[in-house]
Amino acid sequence: MRIPRVGGDGVWRWLSGACVALSLLAVVALLVLVVTRGLAHFWPADIEQLTLDDGQRIAGIARGSEAGEQRYFTANRDLDGQVWRWVETQAIETRETPPELLYAERRDWGPFIGRLTAVETPAGERLQGDEAERRLRRALAGDAEVTTLHVRNVEGRALEVEFAQVASLSWPNRMDIGDKLAAWGHGVWRFLSEAPSDGNTGGGVWPAIFGTLLMVILMSLVVTPFGVLAALYLNEVARQGPLTRLVRIAVRNLAGVPSIVYGVFGLGVFVYGLGGHLDSWFFAERLPSPTFGTGGLLWASLTLALLTLPVVIVATEEGLARVPVALREGSLALGATRFETLRRVVVPMALPSMLTGVILAVARAAGEVAPLMLVGVAKLVPEIPVDGEFPYVHLDSKFMHLGYHLFDLGFASRDAEAAMPLVFATATLLVVVIVVLNLTAIILRHHLRARHRALEHS
Amino acid sequence: MTEPSTVPPRSNRRLRQRLDRLATGVIAASGIGVVVAVLAIGVYLMLAVLPLFDDAEVHVDAAPSVADEGAIHAVWLANDGTRWLTRDGQLRDAEGEVATLATSAAITAVAEAGDMQPLVLGLSNGEVRLVPRDDRGRLRWAQASTMRLFEARGVAALTLRRVAQGWVLAGRDSQGEVAALWHTGEATRRIAVPETAEHIALGHAGRLAMAQGTQLTLWELSPDGGGKALARTDTQAPVTALSFLQGGRTLIVGDAEGGLHRWRLSPDDTGWQAAETSYTNLGDAALRRLIALPRQRLWLALDDSGRLGLYQSLSGQRWQGQAPVTMPPTAVSINAQGTQVMWLDEAGTLQRLAIEAPHAAVSPATLWIPQVYEGHSDAEWRWAAAVTGDEEPQYSLVPLAWGTLKAAAWAMVFAVPLALGAAVHSACYMSRRQRARLKPAIELMEALPGVVIGFVAGLFVAPFVERHLAGTLALFVCVPLGSVACGWLWRILSRRWGLHLPPVSAGIGLMVPLALLCWAALSLSPWLEAWWFGGDLRAWMHQQWGWDYAQRNALIVGMAMGLAIIPTLYSLAEEALSGVPRPLAEGSLALGATRAQTLWRVQLPAAAPGILSAVMIGAGRAVGETMIVLMVTGNTPLMSPSLFEGLRSLAANLAIELPEAAVGGTHYRLLLLGALLLFVFTFVVNTLAEMVRWRLKRRYRRYGGDV
Repeated sequence: MRIPRVGGDGVWRWLSGACVALSLLAVVALLVLVVTRGLAHFWPADIEQLTLDDGQRIAGIARGSEAGEQRYFTANRDLDGQVWRWVETQAIETRETPPELLYAERRDWGPFIGRLTAVETPAGERLQGDEAERRLRRALAGDAEVTTLHVRNVEGRALEVEFAQVASLSWPNRMDIGDKLAAWGHGVWRFLSEAPSDGNTGGGVWPAIFGTLLMVILMSLVVTPFGVLAALYLNEVARQGPLTRLVRIAVRNLAGVPSIVYGVFGLGVFVYGLGGHLDSWFFAERLPSPTFGTGGLLWASLTLALLTLPVVIVATEEGLARVPVALREGSLALGATRFETLRRVVVPMALPSMLTGVILAVARAAGEVAPLMLVGVAKLVPEIPVDGEFPYVHLDSKFMHLGYHLFDLGFASRDAEAAMPLVFATATLLVVVIVVLNLTAIILRHHLRARHRALEHS
Repeated sequence: MTEPSTVPPRSNRRLRQRLDRLATGVIAASGIGVVVAVLAIGVYLMLAVLPLFDDAEVHVDAAPSVADEGAIHAVWLANDGTRWLTRDGQLRDAEGEVATLATSAAITAVAEAGDMQPLVLGLSNGEVRLVPRDDRGRLRWAQASTMRLFEARGVAALTLRRVAQGWVLAGRDSQGEVAALWHTGEATRRIAVPETAEHIALGHAGRLAMAQGTQLTLWELSPDGGGKALARTDTQAPVTALSFLQGGRTLIVGDAEGGLHRWRLSPDDTGWQAAETSYTNLGDAALRRLIALPRQRLWLALDDSGRLGLYQSLSGQRWQGQAPVTMPPTAVSINAQGTQVMWLDEAGTLQRLAIEAPHAAVSPATLWIPQVYEGHSDAEWRWAAAVTGDEEPQYSLVPLAWGTLKAAAWAMVFAVPLALGAAVHSACYMSRRQRARLKPAIELMEALPGVVIGFVAGLFVAPFVERHLAGTLALFVCVPLGSVACGWLWRILSRRWGLHLPPVSAGIGLMVPLALLCWAALSLSPWLEAWWFGGDLRAWMHQQWGWDYAQRNALIVGMAMGLAIIPTLYSLAEEALSGVPRPLAEGSLALGATRAQTLWRVQLPAAAPGILSAVMIGAGRAVGETMIVLMVTGNTPLMSPSLFEGLRSLAANLAIELPEAAVGGTHYRLLLLGALLLFVFTFVVNTLAEMVRWRLKRRYRRYGGDV
């Protein structure tokens, strides 16, 4: 290639700079998109009431626009059969935000937007107007009882909603910024603490959070000792030669083996192999319905432990290699055995790097979905796998996982459009968890390197 | 260390040494155990896949001897071989007569079609006797009914097949006249076929194949009692045996010279596919019997000299051997799995053949060479392994391998320039401190789960690009030009006004202008589209070049997976570039070369092996990435090179089909073969890359680098 001698410098600098900029831009755009959409889902936005030029009335929350059309979240799936509405901007005659419009989240059929006409009390009273609203507010606060709500959508179609069906209820157009912030916080809390409802398109993700956590904890319990021991063997015990080099290459390679292959291995060896045998030995009375012979928490944790093993080994080895040889030799010269040197000198110094490895492994496992699809994740398991019944932690049960929940909501749910806001919220949660874990690992490693540098110079 | 520095007592030493040995042993054992465990993955996959390529076997088992005189006259044999029906209607077992079927004449022909259809017996007076079955498939001998197929002559041969709401029966009389019965619900119609034939066979939807000498005729029978000839063709030698396989779309023809040929119904069932396919001969003797097995489109062929062969429709001959007796069977029964064939011969002895061919439909040729599948007219690579009923499974791995490589290739097209550019920039134009700041950002990027990238790409970017295709494509031109223009502008500005802005921050500084540029390109593209492509680029492409546009396509997967592998590529390439010994670059600069010249002539060539290994490892990741491909491509196993059409990769295919596949079945093992291919590919690529990196590091060290 002929490169101009003068002036060529700038072109390459700027082109390569553009590569950095573009990569960072893509990531930033992705994160901003996910986080803003995810968090906006809980914001009680104003409900607009539109009157169209053909006399139609629509009430909904504006969410995005495209080429002269505005998109409204109109809720009321039971009345309209859909929850989103594209409205031509030109067709809108009036736009108002009536304070009496309420937004109710129901356990079935998703949210409702409309007006309150009356409430019924357990005594059979039927309250209307302001009295109904006062009573409802008290009922929401837990001070009074209400059985049924009579509501109408903006077109005037009436609907009865059981009070027990209402997960939350608010009048967003009357809220000031403080109220809205409080409602936002409440929404986020409910998202984190409740089980999914309404065919996974509503409610929260608590079982998925718990399932992910439990799976990751079980996985760390397995991967930490084995990963650390394997690294100790490679770095401290085995004779350094072509064989250890080969093994090291093999371990590094395993980090590059597609995660789905681990899933296949887990399915074939753990689920069908080990699980099948466990079933025929201990749970023969339940056959042919499998106990351990189907995907579950234990197999998922073991599979992911295998998957993250190279991460722990590589990080630990890196830490072990950084321990100055002089310290080791000093310890040995003072008469300590090799095990004592390891236990008292080498391992304590390499501890932070082991921790880094485990954190990275946890971050990897939390985001990994493909192998789980084969070894035990489920669409919907409202009960968490820990309860008061022996053996308390049910290793054979299927569990929910944030990453799989995300996939399921976006690609396999019956109403992907309605689930979209929730998909973004789930993605935000997943991204936050993984970013926090990784940042911890990065900071830990940074400090560690600084400490070692100081040690080497002293 | 805060431990007291007293010398341990002597008695402790042995304990300490023992402890040391123990600990070393434990560490070594678990270390070796881990290494073995990870290697077990490859071994397991290999072991699980190997049975696919096992040879098929047909064993002749010692059958229970039949000490019954009546067996010589058997015309029908039960599935388990314990009972048989004689020519005069006696149902017998080894002990003697069990029941009697009232018949008006001797039984001369038998036909069955699976476990739920009636047993049909042809009589020597031209009648047929139908023995119905109950819900569990047991024959109800007492409820047999009679119908007339031929007026005068006896029935010589019968063939029966299930149709949508009943069954079709075709028969041939002793003079070769052909007639059929079509039974739907309650009504049964007789269809007279004005042809004579020596051999007949019924396919699906009332397609009747007849052979007379070298002439092969295909008839269409219809439920209303009509029928017409669809095709007449000549075979090379006189036909001696005919049989339709499972599904009734493939006819096997055996001839007098021992030839075996496959004829397939055309996709619309109105004739034959263009070319017949020949199989390996058993010998020169005429084919005597073709016994179609109920699973896997397998059949047994028996010739006059007693040679027996097992064949599969696509993979051809799977086994050849000698029949237990040279005499053709008088009665044959096959179990529902197609694993056991029993026959009674003319001497009245029972033979049992055990057929071990669980994966007969798979051979290297069916996996990698295009095949003419049932319902298609051309040889194609197709993957459709999860089939229902009698459909023919299509087991070609080529579409999946193609999808995998296509997705990976497009991802590399996006990722390699960006990642290498970024690596060059940070290794050659950034200060150490800036590099240290960029690295965590890139590491965070690497940690982004595929499921998040995949969902944003599949649910947000894909619909967006569909609406703004022209704008997206315009970005590929605008961004490089724009960034060079920015640099030029920057230089002019800093010269004219003497602004002393640090030029090294080009990477960060360009983010805002590039964001603006992207926004501008996207918002201007509708005009561009209206001006050049008549307002709709997708319609224009379809019109001009016949390109279809699928919303989830290779372009999107390229962008999404590109983003996912940029960090890997960047880290490794940056490591290789910044590892180039400084004296080399400094020498070059000192001799008067510009930075760009140093980069292209010194640094890049020196780091080339490292960059190559980075690209290889990146490719390995792209090949195995599952969630992004699963969510972004639409998962259609197409073999199209188009950037705008979907694909299905091996990894995504595993995620979709493996949970549903029956353990140990052909489909399951084929999926595992896909996993093994992924494993081997990534293992080989990564090992090569590691070796390249290791050699490079050694070379750098020799030149005085600080790696």
